[in-house]
Amino acid sequence: MHVTWKLPGGGAIEADVDPGLTLMEAAVANDVPDVIGECGGCLSCATCHVYVDEGWRDKVGGPGETEEVMLDMVAGERTAASRLSCQIEASEALDGLVLIVPEV
Amino acid sequence: MTIWTPTDDGYADLTSHDTFERGAPHNTFARLRREDPLHWTEYAGGQDFWSVTRQADIAAMNKNTAVFSSARGIRMEDQSYEEYLARRTFQETDPPEHSQTRMLLMRAFSRTVMAQYEEDIRALCDEILDVALAKGTFDATKDIARQLPMRMLGRVLGLPEADLPWLVEKGDALIANTDPDFTSHVLDKMDTDEFRMMPFNSPAGAELYGYAKELMAAKETSGDTEGVLHLIRQPAKDGSVISETEFRNFFCLLVAAGNDTTRYSIAAGIQAMCHQPELLGQMQQGGDIWETAPDEVIRWATPALYFRRTALADYEMHGKTIRAGDKVLYWFSSANRDEAVFDDPFRVDLFRTPNRHMSFGQGGPHVCLGMWLARLEVRVLFQELAKRLKSIEPAGPHKFLRSNFVGGIKELPVTVIPA
Repeated sequence: MHVTWKLPGGGAIEADVDPGLTLMEAAVANDVPDVIGECGGCLSCATCHVYVDEGWRDKVGGPGETEEVMLDMVAGERTAASRLSCQIEASEALDGLVLIVPEV
Repeated sequence: MTIWTPTDDGYADLTSHDTFERGAPHNTFARLRREDPLHWTEYAGGQDFWSVTRQADIAAMNKNTAVFSSARGIRMEDQSYEEYLARRTFQETDPPEHSQTRMLLMRAFSRTVMAQYEEDIRALCDEILDVALAKGTFDATKDIARQLPMRMLGRVLGLPEADLPWLVEKGDALIANTDPDFTSHVLDKMDTDEFRMMPFNSPAGAELYGYAKELMAAKETSGDTEGVLHLIRQPAKDGSVISETEFRNFFCLLVAAGNDTTRYSIAAGIQAMCHQPELLGQMQQGGDIWETAPDEVIRWATPALYFRRTALADYEMHGKTIRAGDKVLYWFSSANRDEAVFDDPFRVDLFRTPNRHMSFGQGGPHVCLGMWLARLEVRVLFQELAKRLKSIEPAGPHKFLRSNFVGGIKELPVTVIPA
Protein backbone atom coordinates (compact mmCIF):
# COMPACT_ATOMS: atom_id res chain seq x y z
CA MET A 1 0.00 0.00 0.00
CA HIS A 2 1.04 3.57 -0.58
CA VAL A 3 1.08 6.00 2.35
CA THR A 4 1.79 9.70 2.71
CA TRP A 5 2.88 11.43 5.93
CA LYS A 6 2.27 15.19 5.78
CA LEU A 7 4.84 16.98 7.93
CA PRO A 8 3.98 19.88 10.26
CA GLY A 9 6.51 22.26 8.69
CA GLY A 10 5.17 21.56 5.15
CA GLY A 11 6.39 18.83 2.84
CA ALA A 12 5.61 15.14 2.96
CA ILE A 13 7.20 11.71 3.03
CA GLU A 14 5.73 8.97 0.83
CA ALA A 15 6.43 5.25 0.88
CA ASP A 16 5.16 1.87 -0.24
CA VAL A 17 4.51 -0.27 2.80
CA ASP A 18 4.20 -4.07 2.97
CA PRO A 19 0.84 -5.28 4.30
CA GLY A 20 1.12 -6.54 7.88
CA LEU A 21 3.56 -3.90 9.04
CA THR A 22 2.18 -1.24 11.34
CA LEU A 23 2.18 2.37 10.22
CA MET A 24 4.50 3.14 13.18
CA GLU A 25 7.04 0.60 11.88
CA ALA A 26 6.69 2.08 8.40
CA ALA A 27 7.21 5.60 9.74
CA VAL A 28 10.36 4.59 11.65
CA ALA A 29 11.73 2.77 8.59
CA ASN A 30 11.18 5.91 6.52
CA ASP A 31 12.62 8.31 9.14
CA VAL A 32 9.38 10.24 9.55
CA PRO A 33 10.27 12.84 12.20
CA ASP A 34 8.52 12.69 15.59
CA VAL A 35 6.91 9.30 14.96
CA ILE A 36 9.28 7.40 17.21
CA GLY A 37 7.57 4.29 18.52
CA GLU A 38 9.75 4.01 21.62
CA CYS A 39 7.99 0.89 22.95
CA GLY A 40 8.03 -1.05 19.69
CA GLY A 41 4.25 -1.01 19.37
CA CYS A 42 3.29 -2.35 22.82
CA LEU A 43 1.01 0.57 23.75
CA SER A 44 3.41 1.70 26.43
CA CYS A 45 4.75 5.04 25.22
CA ALA A 46 2.36 7.15 23.07
CA THR A 47 5.19 8.31 20.80
CA CYS A 48 3.72 7.32 17.42
CA HIS A 49 0.82 9.78 17.40
CA VAL A 50 -0.62 10.80 14.01
CA TYR A 51 -3.77 12.44 12.68
CA VAL A 52 -5.73 10.43 10.13
CA ASP A 53 -6.66 12.59 7.14
CA GLU A 54 -10.37 13.50 7.06
CA GLY A 55 -11.32 11.25 4.12
CA TRP A 56 -9.70 8.14 5.66
CA ARG A 57 -11.15 8.13 9.16
CA ASP A 58 -14.02 5.71 8.55
CA LYS A 59 -11.79 3.21 6.78
CA VAL A 60 -9.08 3.37 9.46
CA GLY A 61 -11.54 3.29 12.35
CA GLY A 62 -11.23 4.64 15.88
CA PRO A 63 -8.88 3.83 18.75
CA GLY A 64 -9.22 0.71 20.91
CA GLU A 65 -9.78 0.83 24.66
CA THR A 66 -6.15 0.98 25.81
CA GLU A 67 -5.17 3.23 22.94
CA GLU A 68 -7.95 5.59 24.01
CA VAL A 69 -6.26 6.03 27.42
CA MET A 70 -2.80 6.33 25.90
CA LEU A 71 -3.94 9.08 23.53
CA ASP A 72 -4.35 11.34 26.55
CA MET A 73 -0.57 11.26 26.95
CA VAL A 74 0.56 12.19 23.47
CA ALA A 75 2.74 15.17 22.79
CA GLY A 76 0.93 17.60 20.53
CA GLU A 77 -2.77 18.30 20.59
CA ARG A 78 -5.17 15.37 20.72
CA THR A 79 -8.08 15.67 18.27
CA ALA A 80 -10.87 13.46 16.93
CA ALA A 81 -8.42 12.43 14.19
CA SER A 82 -5.75 11.22 16.66
CA ARG A 83 -4.51 7.63 16.48
CA LEU A 84 -1.42 5.79 17.62
CA SER A 85 0.04 4.52 14.38
CA CYS A 86 1.37 1.32 15.98
CA GLN A 87 -2.27 0.25 16.14
CA ILE A 88 -2.93 0.75 12.42
CA GLU A 89 -1.89 -2.16 10.24
CA ALA A 90 -0.95 -1.64 6.61
CA SER A 91 -3.32 -3.37 4.19
CA GLU A 92 -4.39 -2.99 0.57
CA ALA A 93 -7.70 -1.59 1.82
CA LEU A 94 -5.76 1.43 3.08
CA ASP A 95 -3.83 2.00 -0.18
CA GLY A 96 -3.37 5.75 -0.62
CA LEU A 97 -3.71 6.53 3.11
CA VAL A 98 -2.77 10.04 4.21
CA LEU A 99 -1.51 10.66 7.77
CA ILE A 100 -0.64 14.01 9.27
CA VAL A 101 2.28 14.26 11.71
CA PRO A 102 1.39 16.43 14.73
CA GLU A 103 3.39 19.44 15.75
CA VAL A 104 5.15 18.71 19.06
CA MET B 1 37.84 8.94 13.70
CA THR B 2 37.41 6.91 16.84
CA ILE B 3 38.15 9.02 19.85
CA TRP B 4 37.77 6.43 22.56
CA THR B 5 39.45 3.02 22.61
CA PRO B 6 38.28 0.29 24.98
CA THR B 7 41.06 -1.58 26.76
CA ASP B 8 39.61 -5.00 27.58
CA ASP B 9 41.23 -7.98 25.85
CA GLY B 10 38.06 -9.03 24.02
CA TYR B 11 37.40 -11.94 26.36
CA ALA B 12 36.21 -10.16 29.52
CA ASP B 13 34.06 -12.02 32.03
CA LEU B 14 30.64 -10.39 31.70
CA THR B 15 29.46 -11.98 34.93
CA SER B 16 32.16 -10.29 37.01
CA HIS B 17 31.42 -6.94 38.59
CA ASP B 18 35.15 -6.26 38.69
CA THR B 19 35.26 -6.27 34.87
CA PHE B 20 33.08 -3.15 34.80
CA GLU B 21 35.27 -1.16 37.18
CA ARG B 22 37.33 -0.42 34.06
CA GLY B 23 34.24 0.61 32.09
CA ALA B 24 32.03 -1.62 29.96
CA PRO B 25 34.16 -4.22 28.11
CA HIS B 26 33.44 -2.94 24.62
CA ASN B 27 36.09 -5.00 22.84
CA THR B 28 34.39 -8.09 24.21
CA PHE B 29 30.97 -6.87 23.12
CA ALA B 30 32.33 -6.02 19.64
CA ARG B 31 33.80 -9.52 19.29
CA LEU B 32 30.55 -11.12 20.40
CA ARG B 33 28.51 -9.02 17.95
CA ARG B 34 30.89 -10.13 15.21
CA GLU B 35 31.52 -13.78 16.09
CA ASP B 36 28.84 -15.05 18.44
CA PRO B 37 25.83 -12.72 18.72
CA LEU B 38 23.89 -15.29 20.76
CA HIS B 39 26.57 -16.25 23.25
CA TRP B 40 26.20 -18.91 25.95
CA THR B 41 27.74 -17.30 29.00
CA GLU B 42 28.88 -19.40 31.94
CA TYR B 43 28.00 -17.92 35.30
CA ALA B 44 29.54 -19.19 38.54
CA GLY B 45 26.95 -17.24 40.57
CA GLY B 46 23.90 -19.08 39.23
CA GLN B 47 22.18 -20.31 36.09
CA ASP B 48 24.23 -19.84 32.88
CA PHE B 49 22.62 -17.56 30.31
CA TRP B 50 22.47 -16.31 26.73
CA SER B 51 24.10 -12.94 26.04
CA VAL B 52 22.43 -11.03 23.19
CA THR B 53 24.63 -8.24 21.87
CA ARG B 54 23.29 -7.05 18.50
CA GLN B 55 20.83 -4.15 18.42
CA ALA B 56 18.55 -5.77 15.82
CA ASP B 57 18.27 -9.02 17.80
CA ILE B 58 17.42 -7.21 21.03
CA ALA B 59 14.84 -5.11 19.19
CA ALA B 60 13.10 -8.23 17.86
CA MET B 61 13.15 -10.04 21.20
CA ASN B 62 12.27 -7.11 23.46
CA LYS B 63 8.79 -6.69 22.02
CA ASN B 64 8.16 -10.43 21.99
CA THR B 65 6.90 -10.65 25.55
CA ALA B 66 4.98 -13.84 24.78
CA VAL B 67 8.32 -15.65 24.55
CA PHE B 68 10.65 -13.47 26.65
CA SER B 69 9.16 -12.80 30.05
CA SER B 70 10.13 -10.29 32.73
CA ALA B 71 8.17 -12.20 35.35
CA ARG B 72 11.11 -14.40 36.40
CA GLY B 73 13.37 -11.54 37.36
CA ILE B 74 15.28 -8.87 35.44
CA ARG B 75 18.79 -9.25 36.87
CA MET B 76 21.56 -11.72 36.16
CA GLU B 77 21.30 -12.94 39.76
CA ASP B 78 18.65 -15.63 40.12
CA GLN B 79 15.79 -15.44 42.59
CA SER B 80 13.66 -18.13 44.14
CA TYR B 81 9.94 -17.78 43.44
CA GLU B 82 9.45 -16.72 47.04
CA GLU B 83 12.09 -13.99 46.72
CA TYR B 84 10.65 -12.89 43.42
CA LEU B 85 7.18 -12.41 44.93
CA ALA B 86 8.60 -10.49 47.87
CA ARG B 87 10.76 -8.15 45.80
CA ARG B 88 8.99 -7.61 42.53
CA THR B 89 7.63 -4.39 41.04
CA PHE B 90 5.78 -3.90 37.77
CA GLN B 91 9.20 -4.11 36.11
CA GLU B 92 8.96 -7.83 36.83
CA THR B 93 5.57 -8.36 35.20
CA ASP B 94 4.40 -8.95 31.62
CA PRO B 95 1.46 -7.52 29.69
CA PRO B 96 -1.44 -7.33 30.41
CA GLU B 97 -0.64 -7.14 34.13
CA HIS B 98 2.25 -4.78 33.46
CA SER B 99 0.09 -2.48 31.36
CA GLN B 100 -2.48 -2.12 34.16
CA THR B 101 0.05 -0.73 36.61
CA ARG B 102 1.85 1.31 34.02
CA MET B 103 -1.38 3.02 32.98
CA LEU B 104 -1.80 4.34 36.51
CA LEU B 105 1.57 6.06 36.31
CA MET B 106 2.04 7.07 32.71
CA ARG B 107 0.10 10.29 32.92
CA ALA B 108 2.39 11.58 35.65
CA PHE B 109 5.45 10.93 33.48
CA SER B 110 4.18 11.97 30.04
CA ARG B 111 6.24 14.27 27.88
CA THR B 112 3.75 17.10 28.32
CA VAL B 113 3.62 16.84 32.11
CA MET B 114 7.40 16.63 32.33
CA ALA B 115 7.84 19.69 30.12
CA GLN B 116 6.19 21.73 32.89
CA TYR B 117 9.25 21.08 35.09
CA GLU B 118 11.66 22.82 32.72
CA GLU B 119 11.91 26.08 34.62
CA ASP B 120 12.21 24.24 37.96
CA ILE B 121 15.07 22.23 36.54
CA ARG B 122 16.76 25.36 35.20
CA ALA B 123 16.54 27.02 38.60
CA LEU B 124 18.03 23.94 40.27
CA CYS B 125 20.84 23.85 37.68
CA ASP B 126 21.58 27.51 38.49
CA GLU B 127 22.07 26.68 42.16
CA ILE B 128 24.01 23.49 41.58
CA LEU B 129 26.37 24.94 38.97
CA ASP B 130 27.02 28.14 40.96
CA VAL B 131 28.27 26.07 43.88
CA ALA B 132 30.22 23.50 41.85
CA LEU B 133 31.92 25.74 39.29
CA ALA B 134 33.11 28.18 41.96
CA LYS B 135 35.33 25.40 43.28
CA GLY B 136 37.42 25.31 40.09
CA THR B 137 38.48 21.70 40.61
CA PHE B 138 35.86 19.23 41.85
CA ASP B 139 34.23 15.82 41.42
CA ALA B 140 31.64 16.38 38.67
CA THR B 141 29.69 13.25 39.56
CA LYS B 142 29.29 14.24 43.19
CA ASP B 143 28.86 17.98 42.79
CA ILE B 144 26.81 18.14 39.58
CA ALA B 145 25.54 14.81 38.25
CA ARG B 146 24.34 13.46 41.59
CA GLN B 147 22.65 16.70 42.65
CA LEU B 148 20.11 17.35 39.91
CA PRO B 149 18.24 14.01 39.74
CA MET B 150 18.17 13.78 43.53
CA ARG B 151 16.55 17.16 43.89
CA MET B 152 14.14 16.58 41.01
CA LEU B 153 13.06 13.31 42.58
CA GLY B 154 12.16 15.32 45.66
CA ARG B 155 10.03 17.66 43.53
CA VAL B 156 8.29 14.90 41.58
CA LEU B 157 7.49 12.82 44.67
CA GLY B 158 6.79 15.77 46.92
CA LEU B 159 9.49 14.94 49.50
CA PRO B 160 11.06 17.35 51.97
CA GLU B 161 14.39 18.75 50.71
CA ALA B 162 16.08 17.85 54.01
CA ASP B 163 15.40 14.12 53.52
CA LEU B 164 16.93 13.92 50.06
CA PRO B 165 20.60 13.20 50.84
CA TRP B 166 19.58 10.32 53.11
CA LEU B 167 17.20 8.94 50.49
CA VAL B 168 19.78 9.06 47.74
CA GLU B 169 22.35 7.37 49.94
CA LYS B 170 19.86 4.55 50.49
CA GLY B 171 18.99 4.47 46.79
CA ASP B 172 22.68 4.09 45.96
CA ALA B 173 23.02 1.27 48.46
CA LEU B 174 20.16 -0.50 46.69
CA ILE B 175 21.10 -0.23 43.08
CA ALA B 176 24.87 -0.18 43.46
CA ASN B 177 24.63 -3.16 45.78
CA THR B 178 27.84 -4.61 44.38
CA ASP B 179 30.10 -1.58 44.99
CA PRO B 180 31.73 -1.31 48.44
CA ASP B 181 31.76 2.50 48.11
CA PHE B 182 27.95 2.47 48.22
CA THR B 183 26.97 -0.38 50.51
CA SER B 184 28.41 -2.35 53.38
CA HIS B 185 26.43 -5.37 52.14
CA VAL B 186 28.23 -6.13 48.88
CA LEU B 187 25.93 -8.57 47.13
CA ASP B 188 28.47 -11.03 45.71
CA LYS B 189 30.95 -10.78 48.57
CA MET B 190 29.03 -11.61 51.69
CA ASP B 191 26.06 -13.47 52.92
CA THR B 192 23.10 -11.12 52.49
CA ASP B 193 20.64 -13.90 53.11
CA GLU B 194 19.03 -11.96 55.93
CA PHE B 195 17.72 -9.41 53.43
CA ARG B 196 16.76 -11.66 50.57
CA MET B 197 13.08 -10.76 50.88
CA MET B 198 13.86 -7.03 50.80
CA PRO B 199 14.00 -4.93 47.63
CA PHE B 200 17.37 -5.41 45.90
CA ASN B 201 18.34 -7.95 48.60
CA SER B 202 19.50 -4.98 50.68
CA PRO B 203 19.07 -3.65 54.22
CA ALA B 204 18.51 -0.21 52.66
CA GLY B 205 15.27 -1.64 51.23
CA ALA B 206 13.95 -2.12 54.75
CA GLU B 207 14.89 1.41 55.79
CA LEU B 208 13.29 2.96 52.72
CA TYR B 209 10.14 0.99 53.37
CA GLY B 210 9.90 2.45 56.85
CA TYR B 211 10.35 5.92 55.39
CA ALA B 212 7.69 5.40 52.70
CA LYS B 213 5.16 4.18 55.24
CA GLU B 214 5.61 7.22 57.47
CA LEU B 215 5.49 9.51 54.47
CA MET B 216 2.20 8.08 53.22
CA ALA B 217 0.68 8.22 56.70
CA ALA B 218 1.63 11.90 56.93
CA LYS B 219 0.20 12.56 53.46
CA GLU B 220 -3.05 10.87 54.41
CA THR B 221 -3.37 12.91 57.60
CA SER B 222 -2.80 16.16 55.74
CA GLY B 223 -5.08 15.16 52.85
CA ASP B 224 -2.23 15.48 50.32
CA THR B 225 -3.24 13.60 47.16
CA GLU B 226 -0.59 15.06 44.87
CA GLY B 227 1.95 13.09 42.94
CA VAL B 228 3.02 9.69 41.76
CA LEU B 229 2.84 7.96 45.12
CA HIS B 230 -0.84 8.72 45.32
CA LEU B 231 -1.46 7.60 41.73
CA ILE B 232 -0.01 4.15 42.20
CA ARG B 233 -2.37 3.47 45.09
CA GLN B 234 -5.46 4.08 42.96
CA PRO B 235 -7.47 1.03 41.87
CA ALA B 236 -6.51 -0.35 38.45
CA LYS B 237 -9.06 -0.89 35.69
CA ASP B 238 -10.07 -4.26 37.15
CA GLY B 239 -10.48 -2.75 40.63
CA SER B 240 -7.31 -4.30 42.08
CA VAL B 241 -5.17 -2.21 44.43
CA ILE B 242 -1.42 -2.39 44.94
CA SER B 243 -0.36 -4.36 48.05
CA GLU B 244 1.83 -2.95 50.84
CA THR B 245 4.75 -5.02 49.60
CA GLU B 246 4.34 -3.84 46.03
CA PHE B 247 4.11 -0.24 47.20
CA ARG B 248 7.32 -0.60 49.20
CA ASN B 249 9.08 -2.10 46.21
CA PHE B 250 7.78 0.61 43.90
CA PHE B 251 9.01 3.34 46.23
CA CYS B 252 12.44 1.72 46.34
CA LEU B 253 12.43 1.45 42.55
CA LEU B 254 11.67 5.17 42.17
CA VAL B 255 14.35 6.21 44.62
CA ALA B 256 16.93 3.96 43.00
CA ALA B 257 16.07 4.15 39.29
CA GLY B 258 15.04 7.80 39.42
CA ASN B 259 18.49 8.79 40.58
CA ASP B 260 21.41 6.92 39.28
CA THR B 261 20.49 6.57 35.62
CA THR B 262 20.20 10.31 35.04
CA ARG B 263 23.21 10.89 37.27
CA TYR B 264 25.42 8.59 35.21
CA SER B 265 24.09 10.05 31.96
CA ILE B 266 25.14 13.52 33.09
CA ALA B 267 28.51 12.19 34.29
CA ALA B 268 29.18 10.46 30.95
CA GLY B 269 28.27 13.66 29.11
CA ILE B 270 30.71 15.69 31.19
CA GLN B 271 33.39 13.04 30.62
CA ALA B 272 32.74 13.32 26.88
CA MET B 273 33.14 17.12 27.06
CA CYS B 274 36.54 16.61 28.69
CA HIS B 275 37.72 14.21 25.98
CA GLN B 276 36.12 15.85 22.94
CA PRO B 277 36.74 19.56 23.50
CA GLU B 278 34.77 20.47 20.36
CA LEU B 279 31.54 19.47 22.12
CA LEU B 280 31.56 22.58 24.33
CA GLY B 281 31.74 24.90 21.31
CA GLN B 282 28.96 22.99 19.56
CA MET B 283 26.76 23.27 22.63
CA GLN B 284 27.49 26.99 22.89
CA GLN B 285 26.36 27.49 19.28
CA GLY B 286 22.96 26.21 20.46
CA GLY B 287 19.95 25.76 18.18
CA ASP B 288 19.02 22.37 16.77
CA ILE B 289 21.72 20.56 18.71
CA TRP B 290 19.40 20.44 21.72
CA GLU B 291 16.94 18.29 19.78
CA THR B 292 19.54 15.54 19.43
CA ALA B 293 22.22 16.05 22.11
CA PRO B 294 20.33 14.56 25.09
CA ASP B 295 19.79 11.21 23.37
CA GLU B 296 23.42 11.04 22.28
CA VAL B 297 24.62 11.72 25.82
CA ILE B 298 22.25 9.02 27.06
CA ARG B 299 23.42 6.58 24.36
CA TRP B 300 27.02 7.26 25.31
CA ALA B 301 26.27 6.65 28.99
CA THR B 302 24.00 3.55 28.78
CA PRO B 303 23.53 3.42 32.57
CA ALA B 304 21.35 0.27 32.38
CA LEU B 305 23.93 -2.14 30.99
CA TYR B 306 21.48 -5.00 30.51
CA PHE B 307 18.09 -6.37 31.45
CA ARG B 308 17.32 -10.03 31.82
CA ARG B 309 14.38 -12.01 30.43
CA THR B 310 13.41 -15.67 30.76
CA ALA B 311 12.25 -17.71 27.75
CA LEU B 312 8.75 -19.20 28.05
CA ALA B 313 9.09 -21.20 24.83
CA ASP B 314 11.86 -22.43 22.52
CA TYR B 315 13.22 -19.76 20.18
CA GLU B 316 15.56 -20.21 17.20
CA MET B 317 18.22 -17.63 16.46
CA HIS B 318 21.59 -17.68 14.66
CA GLY B 319 21.35 -21.46 14.29
CA LYS B 320 20.91 -22.04 18.01
CA THR B 321 17.91 -22.81 20.17
CA ILE B 322 17.05 -20.85 23.26
CA ARG B 323 15.09 -23.36 25.35
CA ALA B 324 12.03 -22.60 27.45
CA GLY B 325 13.32 -21.71 30.92
CA ASP B 326 16.63 -20.29 29.65
CA LYS B 327 17.86 -16.98 30.97
CA VAL B 328 18.55 -14.31 28.36
CA LEU B 329 20.40 -11.00 28.83
CA TYR B 330 19.82 -8.04 26.51
CA TRP B 331 23.11 -6.13 26.62
CA PHE B 332 21.95 -2.58 25.86
CA SER B 333 25.51 -1.44 26.43
CA SER B 334 26.58 -3.49 23.42
CA ALA B 335 23.55 -2.55 21.29
CA ASN B 336 24.44 1.13 21.79
CA ARG B 337 27.87 0.60 20.19
CA ASP B 338 26.60 -1.65 17.37
CA GLU B 339 28.41 -0.60 14.19
CA ALA B 340 25.50 -1.97 12.14
CA VAL B 341 23.31 0.81 13.56
CA PHE B 342 25.65 3.67 14.51
CA ASP B 343 28.30 5.30 12.31
CA ASP B 344 31.47 5.70 14.34
CA PRO B 345 29.82 4.42 17.54
CA PHE B 346 32.84 5.30 19.69
CA ARG B 347 32.48 8.99 19.03
CA VAL B 348 30.04 11.32 20.70
CA ASP B 349 28.15 13.09 17.90
CA LEU B 350 25.68 15.48 19.46
CA PHE B 351 23.93 15.89 16.10
CA ARG B 352 23.40 12.15 15.61
CA THR B 353 20.04 11.50 13.97
CA PRO B 354 18.26 9.16 13.87
CA ASN B 355 19.65 7.84 17.13
CA ARG B 356 18.17 4.41 17.73
CA HIS B 357 19.86 3.79 21.05
CA MET B 358 18.43 1.43 23.66
CA SER B 359 19.39 3.15 26.87
CA PHE B 360 15.72 3.36 27.85
CA GLY B 361 15.02 -0.23 26.84
CA GLN B 362 13.27 1.03 23.71
CA GLY B 363 11.35 -1.48 21.64
CA GLY B 364 9.37 -3.16 24.42
CA PRO B 365 6.60 -2.47 26.93
CA HIS B 366 9.09 -1.75 29.74
CA VAL B 367 10.56 1.28 27.99
CA CYS B 368 11.69 3.70 30.71
CA LEU B 369 8.80 5.48 32.37
CA GLY B 370 11.02 8.43 33.26
CA MET B 371 12.59 8.91 29.83
CA TRP B 372 11.10 12.35 29.20
CA LEU B 373 12.24 13.61 32.59
CA ALA B 374 15.70 12.17 31.96
CA ARG B 375 15.98 13.82 28.54
CA LEU B 376 14.78 17.13 29.95
CA GLU B 377 17.21 17.07 32.88
CA VAL B 378 20.11 16.20 30.58
CA ARG B 379 19.22 18.92 28.07
CA VAL B 380 18.76 21.72 30.60
CA LEU B 381 21.85 20.74 32.61
CA PHE B 382 24.12 20.82 29.55
CA GLN B 383 22.54 24.04 28.25
CA GLU B 384 23.29 25.73 31.55
CA LEU B 385 26.73 24.15 31.95
CA ALA B 386 27.88 25.09 28.44
CA LYS B 387 26.79 28.71 28.98
CA ARG B 388 29.03 29.02 32.02
CA LEU B 389 32.24 27.39 30.76
CA LYS B 390 35.33 28.54 28.92
CA SER B 391 36.92 25.10 29.26
CA ILE B 392 36.66 21.82 31.14
CA GLU B 393 39.44 19.27 31.57
CA PRO B 394 40.06 16.08 33.53
CA ALA B 395 41.81 16.70 36.86
CA GLY B 396 42.81 13.08 37.37
CA PRO B 397 41.61 9.60 36.47
CA HIS B 398 37.90 8.82 36.72
CA LYS B 399 36.48 5.72 38.40
CA PHE B 400 33.66 3.45 37.29
CA LEU B 401 31.10 1.82 39.53
CA ARG B 402 31.75 -1.82 40.46
CA SER B 403 28.62 -3.23 38.84
CA ASN B 404 27.76 -5.20 35.72
CA PHE B 405 24.18 -3.90 35.96
CA VAL B 406 24.58 -0.13 36.31
CA GLY B 407 27.28 1.48 34.19
CA GLY B 408 28.50 4.76 35.57
CA ILE B 409 31.40 7.02 36.42
CA LYS B 410 31.27 7.35 40.19
CA GLU B 411 34.21 9.76 40.47
CA LEU B 412 34.99 12.33 37.80
CA PRO B 413 37.58 14.92 38.84
CA VAL B 414 37.50 17.97 36.56
CA THR B 415 38.98 21.44 36.40
CA VAL B 416 36.92 24.22 34.86
CA ILE B 417 37.60 27.74 33.72
CA PRO B 418 34.37 29.75 33.85
CA ALA B 419 33.34 31.79 30.80
